[in-house]
Amino acid sequence: MALLRAHGLWREPEVTPAERVVPAVQEVHGTTVIALKYRDGVLNVGDRRATSANAIMYDRAEKILPLDDYTLIAIAGSYARAMEIVRYLQHSFKYYARTQLQEMSLEGKLAEVSRALAGNLSMALQGIGLFIPVVSAYDLERGEGRIFFYDGMGARFESVEFGAAGSGSERIRGVFDYILKTKGPFHEMTLKDALRESLLLLDIAADLDSATAGIEKVLPVARAVTSEGIMDIPEEMLSDIRASLRR
Amino acid sequence: MVYTPYDFNESVRHRTEYIEERLRDGSPVAGISYDGGVLLLTLRRTQRKIFEVYDRLMFAGLGNQSDLEIIRVGAIDFAHQEGYARSPDDVTIQRVVGFAISPGIKRAFGDVLNAPFVVRALFAEMGRKPEEDLFYTLNYDGEFVSLNWAAAVAGTPEAEEQMMRQLVPEDAEGAPDLQTALRRALRAWAVGRLWATDMHLQEEGAESLTEERIETFLREQLQDLQVEAAILDRFTKRERKFRLLKEDEIRPILPE
Repeated sequence: MALLRAHGLWREPEVTPAERVVPAVQEVHGTTVIALKYRDGVLNVGDRRATSANAIMYDRAEKILPLDDYTLIAIAGSYARAMEIVRYLQHSFKYYARTQLQEMSLEGKLAEVSRALAGNLSMALQGIGLFIPVVSAYDLERGEGRIFFYDGMGARFESVEFGAAGSGSERIRGVFDYILKTKGPFHEMTLKDALRESLLLLDIAADLDSATAGIEKVLPVARAVTSEGIMDIPEEMLSDIRASLRR
Repeated sequence: MVYTPYDFNESVRHRTEYIEERLRDGSPVAGISYDGGVLLLTLRRTQRKIFEVYDRLMFAGLGNQSDLEIIRVGAIDFAHQEGYARSPDDVTIQRVVGFAISPGIKRAFGDVLNAPFVVRALFAEMGRKPEEDLFYTLNYDGEFVSLNWAAAVAGTPEAEEQMMRQLVPEDAEGAPDLQTALRRALRAWAVGRLWATDMHLQEEGAESLTEERIETFLREQLQDLQVEAAILDRFTKRERKFRLLKEDEIRPILPE
């Protein structure tokens, strides 16, 4: 960030004094993203809808993005700010690894995400630019997938089994617990089972939340992070599972 | 005292002699395109020599370690600023070398009150196909040359010429596979080192560079040096295309 700042490339979010708050810009929002642990790592699934107030702006949005070879970020909320910060984080991690000749530690990466969110706070307080990420990483030292979720100020929490963000995620919170209690922990599931559960969760979210697209019109984006790096789940696999859910 | 054009020429000559004397002994670097990417190879003692610059860019050189470090960090800084401010597609070898690095080196070389860079550097950029790969060699005076298929930097320009013959044999057709590229690069390294350091060889001519002589020389050098080879992988799905080759990937090409 220091390098970008020195060259005037890093734009600090501008603060407007409270009394001069202008009517909020209608910004574009991403809706529901889900992260589930499974046997080999962490699976991320997100619907593809982006909304602006009650209008559907886009139905091909990508909300699951790789930050590097072992870290995925799933974003919900302000699409503009999220994309800019994701781009910053990608460059920041690569820049660190290339100049220092070693990977940034997982702890370092997570703190950088917190910092980016904290830097975004002044805008978020004015009701614009707030976004919430879920970070999934494969911890090579521990040999396991890990999920971290954040609040808008940058507080970080590690989750044991799953993470979710976005308008639809609140509505389906109970479903996660129901699955855990009836079918056992996510981290013991195969990729296929975890995919099935996550598509079902998205489908329910779409039923309960008007801003979530679900799985019917456009296939969701699904990516997993494992000891082998990041894997894009092929569309055929997703459409097969979607077909098996239609009964 | 008056500083005349004669003094300027004289000082440039002195600087050139000083730099070339110090470069002569350096470990050459060979670069070659292969079907699955781009390869850089050199031999080293302990310090790493081949570095990733950006998504599709890497770099290695010979000369003064701290000078190389300045170029490395300068190139990485520029590439990341550009990649962030515009897009990764706008970070090209031509801009990094020609715009960001070369002018500074030229300035340092021409400034008689400061130390010049003691370096010869080799940048490689991976394209979508081998014929789109690009190499830039950068000299201590800021001059740079762009090349396709292969490139080399060594202790002397003559040694570089000899290396190019090994890297692109006359009967070569299209891009080699990684094994062939590694073999050619290792031979080229040996030839470049021999040519720059062995005075007799230059008198005897290229014909005296027999297979046997190269093998013996390599075996000798491998006593206290090790091969370092890195690739930019054209087909990997990983975010990082750059990868240092592992020992078991290099071992098959070493002389027994």
